[in-house]
Amino acid sequence: MAVRGHSMEPALREGDWLLVLPPRRAMRPGDVVLARDPHDRSRLVVKRVGGREGDDVVLEECTRHPSESGRFGVVPSSDVVGRAAFRYAPLSRFGPVRA
Amino acid sequence: MLGRFLRPSTVAYAHCDIPCGIYDPTAAKIAADTVAKMVEKITALDKNATDFTTRGNFVRMITVKEQHAEICKKELQVLWSDYFKPEHLEKFPKLHDSFWKALKLASKNKQNVDAQAATDLQAAVKEISDMFWATKK
Repeated sequence: MAVRGHSMEPALREGDWLLVLPPRRAMRPGDVVLARDPHDRSRLVVKRVGGREGDDVVLEECTRHPSESGRFGVVPSSDVVGRAAFRYAPLSRFGPVRA
Repeated sequence: MLGRFLRPSTVAYAHCDIPCGIYDPTAAKIAADTVAKMVEKITALDKNATDFTTRGNFVRMITVKEQHAEICKKELQVLWSDYFKPEHLEKFPKLHDSFWKALKLASKNKQNVDAQAATDLQAAVKEISDMFWATKK
């Protein structure tokens, strides 16, 4: 999966290539997930999990100013496609994805 | 070959609507003020002058007026669709009407050289700006 956009900097940068694993456990705050965009289900977003509301997962808006930006949206956990686990490119940033 | 194999087939968006959630009606105000200034300067030109300098200034001022009317419109649209939320509408029931009228005025200013329309646009932007800053209190 390739990253486009800057809202996840510095954890993820535009052009990063990530390995995404299917969700095998419940998503926890801080997990970086690939999910259906709650505003446009035809595309995917990569966002940090802010918390949970029952079976729904809250996605944070922008990681550079989390306190100001609030939430990006809420998706049912069935819309979480996977967890971004590992960055394989660029090689200078090779390694696990940390929230 | 290896690069092609590793290249991801999926793109995921990590964008904010506006980087870091910074919204500000000042850009719309400056654009509306520029439109008004251009209308003032165009109206002050000698209508009968045919020299190239006057003609050039006229064309330039019209261009700037139309560009800034468009900028004003874009800035207002971003505030309308991205910044203001349903809870703001409860506080300002005429929010949608204010935006709709302001956008119409921006279009009118793009099409015409009309001092009254320019003043009305400035007032409409101020009204929206006042609502914006009231949400920040």
